[in-house]
Amino acid sequence: MYKHTGSRGSGAPGWVLQRITGILLFVVVLTHFFVMHANPASGHTYAAVLARMHDPFWKMFDLTFITVGLWHGLNGTWGVFRDYKMKPAVSLTIYGVIILSGIAFWVLGVNTILSF
Amino acid sequence: MAYQAKPPEGWLRTNLKYTKDRGSVAWVLHRITGLGLTAYIYVHIYALTSLTQGPQAFDNEMKLFQTPVFHVLEWLLFSLVVYHSLNGVRIVIVDWANGAAYHKKLLAVVYGLGVVLFIGMGILMFREPIANMFASLR
Repeated sequence: MYKHTGSRGSGAPGWVLQRITGILLFVVVLTHFFVMHANPASGHTYAAVLARMHDPFWKMFDLTFITVGLWHGLNGTWGVFRDYKMKPAVSLTIYGVIILSGIAFWVLGVNTILSF
Repeated sequence: MAYQAKPPEGWLRTNLKYTKDRGSVAWVLHRITGLGLTAYIYVHIYALTSLTQGPQAFDNEMKLFQTPVFHVLEWLLFSLVVYHSLNGVRIVIVDWANGAAYHKKLLAVVYGLGVVLFIGMGILMFREPIANMFASLR
């Protein structure tokens, strides 16, 4: 249990992956923001979104974003909690909430993308 | 092993001790913006599930998001995005490219470029209202 709640294990794989996913997200998030949020003309109607959803490129783009973004965000969140000395029960609860909510919202997002 | 839930001098004081230097301020900001963006991606994923409920549900929701208040919120969201992105690059340089030797110069670039990009994004997002505002001068 301690291995997963922070007192054992170097955390090195998570650290390296946090940087690799971070570099990937630098490209993905900024592209997403410029195309979608900064530019209302790119189309926010149901029809326009559906047209994008049928484009394999944007489908893969969104799947990558959800997967890598959630992992990076939740690994980072866990990294913040790891810095505090917590009782094992508290630590395990937070870890559980992070993992379970992460899986739940990943399924929710992937389901939305793959519905079309 | 005895666990101490709280440090002896208190949680808040321990945390305030971190913020002594520009580097620590950047570290705290990186955490706050990171937690904010993680919360946002949850909201974002949830909000877009309305796509599966058909055109009417989705277009009604988008009407709300395409209002001036939400556009300003989106712009403020960009401040989190731009800071976390640029400082994230700085962290990678510090860790993998001997950036520790010049991390304060990189920090100046992060803040400088961040402000420029934030204002630039504001002009890009609000180009139509800005143009309309000065329309009578033309």
